[in-house]
Amino acid sequence: MNCQLCQKESDAYHSGNLSEGLRMQVEMHLEHCRDCSESFQLWAIADVVMEAEKAVKSNPFLVTRIMAGIEEMEHEGATRLRIPAYQKVLKPILISASLAAAIFIGVFVGSTYLPTGTVQRIPVELSYMNDAALESVDLYSQL
Amino acid sequence: MTDQEIIGQILQGDLNRYKLLVERYQSIVFRTCMGFLHNKEDADDLTQDIFIQTYQTLSAYKGEASFSTWIYRITVNASLNKLRKSSKNPFLQRLENVFGSEKGKEYNFPVSDAENPETLIIQAERNEWVEKALNSLPEKQRTAIVLSKYDDLSQREIAVIMETTEGAVEALIQRAKANLREKLSALSKKKKN
Ligand SMILES: [Zn+2]
Repeated sequence: MNCQLCQKESDAYHSGNLSEGLRMQVEMHLEHCRDCSESFQLWAIADVVMEAEKAVKSNPFLVTRIMAGIEEMEHEGATRLRIPAYQKVLKPILISASLAAAIFIGVFVGSTYLPTGTVQRIPVELSYMNDAALESVDLYSQL
Repeated sequence: MTDQEIIGQILQGDLNRYKLLVERYQSIVFRTCMGFLHNKEDADDLTQDIFIQTYQTLSAYKGEASFSTWIYRITVNASLNKLRKSSKNPFLQRLENVFGSEKGKEYNFPVSDAENPETLIIQAERNEWVEKALNSLPEKQRTAIVLSKYDDLSQREIAVIMETTEGAVEALIQRAKANLREKLSALSKKKKN
């Protein structure tokens, strides 16, 4: 038996699934080949560790935990479904309506504002007029 | 009752039927998670997440593959995703190690001399070697070896789950074993020196 064949039979050897003849051939090879012997030992270690992990049992309440999680999720989903009119339609409509109103009011208020710079000025000449010296118009109209 | 019949009833609103599926598949999902994560609590949590995720996507199951194949695929993907996420956060992992989060590691090893602390140390060390060696494998090799060693699936079954050929699975397992031996050998030599 060569190393390649010996390595190939490693799994079957460890799990005891080799025929008597093959098992003896493998053991004879292992007696003489240090590489294969070391490799078999390491694989045996890995096997023990993996078998131990495989034997670990899950939490006995796992099924209950899973079902509780799903029921909770379903309940949340149902609550969400009961108020779709508000959650899915009314809420966005209200938000966009108030946004549009805010923009409209903003534009309207903005357009009514007139800065003082554009207000019609009183002609400068008028300030030189002496009101006291003006003849009363009433005086002539009563004639 | 077949899986397909149960799924039909669940989709018609009979939520309680899902319990049957969980009971039927929880041990294989948990074992597969254990093969990837090597930690009981993490495997418990991931199993729970997987069953909730499976429930949420149940309507997408069209029955083209068997339900067991489907749930194996979900489990493998979820486990690999979890490992990718945790490898992206090595700082948190180191913190966990420092603060002794060796949670759920109390396995019952077939130790002949369990009272001997030296034997226990050797066991813990070997456990760590194997975990490191498995974690160093490329994802496909790791998946093939977990499905083969932890779930005792045949190469044909693994090929269906991994959507590849039996020959490819055989090659993956051979390469995985060779890599594991090499890695274990390196780790044991490092220990000797
Ligand atoms: Zn050899």
